[in-house]
Parts: sequence; C-alpha cells; structure tokens
Amino acid sequence: MSANPFKIIRSTDLPPAHLRGEVLGSVKFVMMLMRMLQLFVADPSAALFERVRILGSRSSRAGKGPGSDDPTNEPTRT
Amino acid sequence: MLPSDPGGVTFSERRVQTPNTLSPLLFRKKPAAVEQLRDEEIVVELQHRMDAERFGVLYDRYSTKVFQKCMAMTRNNEIAKDLTHDIFLKAFVNLSKFDHRSKFGTWLYSITHNYCLDHLRKDQKHRTTEVEDDHGVEDGAEDRYEAELLAIRTDRLPMVLEAMDPADRGILLMKYQDELSVKDMMEVLGVGESAVKMRTMRARERALVLYHQLFPEEP
Repeated sequence: MSANPFKIIRSTDLPPAHLRGEVLGSVKFVMMLMRMLQLFVADPSAALFERVRILGSRSSRAGKGPGSDDPTNEPTRT
Repeated sequence: MLPSDPGGVTFSERRVQTPNTLSPLLFRKKPAAVEQLRDEEIVVELQHRMDAERFGVLYDRYSTKVFQKCMAMTRNNEIAKDLTHDIFLKAFVNLSKFDHRSKFGTWLYSITHNYCLDHLRKDQKHRTTEVEDDHGVEDGAEDRYEAELLAIRTDRLPMVLEAMDPADRGILLMKYQDELSVKDMMEVLGVGESAVKMRTMRARERALVLYHQLFPEEP
C-alpha cells in the first residue's frame, strides 16, 4: 500500500514569529478588559462604594494638624 | 570571639555580612519552571490567575499544530494566520470553561476545528459541491472506499478536498491527516461513536464521488 496522501500534503509551514507577540498582546488587552468588567460592570454599586475611597485633606491624613479632630475629614469608610 | 571560629569573625558579624536581599532568595522554595509543567497544570494556574506569559507557554507548544490545521482547512497562509490568532484568543477567554475531562490539546483542537468550519461556512466565496448520499453501503465497501481514498494521487487530493464540504473535509483531515482516535473525534465533534463512524464513512464516499467527477478518466 502506498503512503498516506493526506500525510504527504500536510502543511509544513510554521506560524510567523511575530504572531506570538500579536496573540499575547491581544491576550493582555483582553485581560485588562476582563478586569475592568469585574471591577465596574459586574456590580457597579458595590464597585462604587467598595473601591472608591474619598480621602480628606492632607493634614487629616497625617493625623495631626488643625483639622484632625474634624470627623468630616476622616476617610469615608464603607 | 567564638572559639570555633578560626576566621576571627563572630557568628553575628557573619550574618551582618550577608546581603539582605540575598537571604530570602536562598531560603525561598524555588517554584517549578513553567516549561516543565503539564498543559493541564498550566491551565489550572491560569484558571486561578490570568497570566499572559504562562499562556505564552501553551502558545509555544501548540501554535504550529493550530497553524498547520488552519492551513489544511483553508489552504491560505494569511487566513490561517488570522484564524490562529483568533483561536488562541478564544481559547484564553474560554479557559474557565475547560473542565479537565479531556486533554487540553484535544480541547484546543476542537476549538480550532469548529472555528475553521465557522469561517469556511461564512465565506460566501467558498464553493461546495453537493453530492447525493441517499444510497446504502454494501458489506465490505467501507474498506474498499478507504483503500481507494488513500490511493488518490497526491497532486489531486488537494483539489478534491477543496471541492468538498468543509465539514466533510474536516472529518477526513481529522481521521487521515491528524490521525485522531474515534474517542477524540467524538470529543471534537460532540457526537457519539456511531455518528463519528457514519460521518467518516459518508465523507469518504463523497470524496470518492467528487474524485470521479473531477477526474473521470481514472478507473
């Protein structure tokens, strides 16, 4: 029996070298999109209240200074 | 000075001489090189934590196979390149759906096969030749068809495959070029054993009918 013609016509071409960079670049972009999606779209209200922290003035963050006793200068806690 | 220390340097002084950045490196357990991990182990890690570089290891292992499969299906280098890119991206996005019931290679092959088929079906320019298949197969005909198929001249086989329906072509390439087992074909096609055998048989018959249509002078 002769050799399998399907094997003979099999392509021996290699993928271009730059394709790896393109694929991994796209993968990184998709990763970024997925993280953004997780962060903001999955639960926007939770994302707003859990991920965003409103900080007070510099003096209150340092814990000393004239405004440090003012509770409105405290970081917002959720 | 400690009596057992001939160098004249105390233990505490020696500790001071060790660079601070070196000690954690000395005592930390070295992680296994990614290149030494099995495909499925890398996938488990990727399912827990996305990492493009680790996915790059899988790309390095399978890019040639995927590209050559795309070439076999499309016979076009540029299209095969684009399809390879899209297939790996699709695999990455769907990694969480990989349930480890099959090998990663089979799973990726399945994505490759189906993606190429979708592409060929969408391609309006692609022509297929309809062949009637409403006839039964007599006993022993299967083996004869297979022998006849494998006896097709190498320069003519690409023309026959090109004229075939993409699904039939995919099955023949799966069976005779990639030499997938029936079990793997069941996994890729998502059908049972009898359906795989029936589809393979039909694809063989249609290929031979096309061959005789394209090259009627052949016996």
